[in-house]
Amino acid sequence: MFETVVKVLADYKDLSPDDITAQSTFEQLGVDSLDTVELVMTLEDETGIKVEMNEKLKTVGELVKLLEEGRA
Amino acid sequence: MIHTAICELLGIRYPVLQGGMAWVSDASLAGAVSNAGGLGIIAAMNADGDYLREQIRQTRALTDKPFGVNIMLMSPYAPDVAQVALDEKVPVITTGAGLPSQYIRAWVQAGIRVLPVVPSVAIARMVQRMGAHAVIAEGGESGGHIGELNTMALVPQVVDAVDIPVIAAGGIGDGRGMAAALMLGACGVQMGTRFLVAHECAIHETYKEKIIKAKDIDTLATGRRLGHPVRALKNPFTRAFYAKEYDAGVSDQELEAYGAGALRLAAREGDAQKGCFMAGQIAGLVQRRQSAAEIINEVTGQAETLLRGACQWVK
Repeated sequence: MFETVVKVLADYKDLSPDDITAQSTFEQLGVDSLDTVELVMTLEDETGIKVEMNEKLKTVGELVKLLEEGRA
Repeated sequence: MIHTAICELLGIRYPVLQGGMAWVSDASLAGAVSNAGGLGIIAAMNADGDYLREQIRQTRALTDKPFGVNIMLMSPYAPDVAQVALDEKVPVITTGAGLPSQYIRAWVQAGIRVLPVVPSVAIARMVQRMGAHAVIAEGGESGGHIGELNTMALVPQVVDAVDIPVIAAGGIGDGRGMAAALMLGACGVQMGTRFLVAHECAIHETYKEKIIKAKDIDTLATGRRLGHPVRALKNPFTRAFYAKEYDAGVSDQELEAYGAGALRLAAREGDAQKGCFMAGQIAGLVQRRQSAAEIINEVTGQAETLLRGACQWVK
């Protein structure tokens, strides 16, 4: 799942996948709150997983966890 | 007359909503708009649950028609006012400044119509999935807290992305704006700035005079650096705020503190120097004080005439 998130995020924001870790915050990556929702919806379309998101989502690792929980 | 899915959904005569504006949208304005056949909306703003309960009761004393409550999700009292709106079983809730994830299920289960204000397609899709009955797509022409996209670009993209009704907001101040919004695929409009000068709007006279005098170029969006820009009339306060925003020596906290309370000073005290007179870009079009009923009748009447005449261009 981490790889999928990195791939989608890198593609969406023209980032280098190497610069994205589980600890990276969206703020560090230049991903604002609107972008985060866009990212989540793109990942939902890609994976078929539905997630319950809120404003507390701050890091890539948290998003990966949310998606994994949604898949379970 | 213009009748759309929003009229059915909300039980209102005209598909016109009055925006929930902090320090502006109280029981007096909301009650008058609802009595006139639109949807009046009380702003819960940054106040506590007791304030909202009192406003809801006053609105109910003024009208037996549907009305709404706008919940500003960044407010420290958001959980409190969300509960009050639920307990009071208000007919409609609109939300702003965030995702209503925490509350929406309880509201929907209680039979409340929930209409989040959305600044993007992804957020519109997300709130639709949470159970929202409609969305208010608000462009950055509007006053107060604004998004990045403008109404002309935002509305049709949101209309294409969701299956629920879309209400257009931002930059709509007369029947031309309303007709255009319907052509973009919206089935209703929300107006804020136009209602600022309604007789039933209790803001300070200075505020109303400033709206009447405003021209097209008289608003300015500040606060982009803080991540939540605000559009207001240009005055000493907004100019000073704008200067501080680009001064690296001023911290974000200092900037936030400088803006605190400025809207209240405008709305209640009419303080031309220190007040923040929030207004949309359409303020230049607002030239007369009228009752809420006159505003609604004029806007919907003009939209109807324009839409009936629109086939003149089709050969």
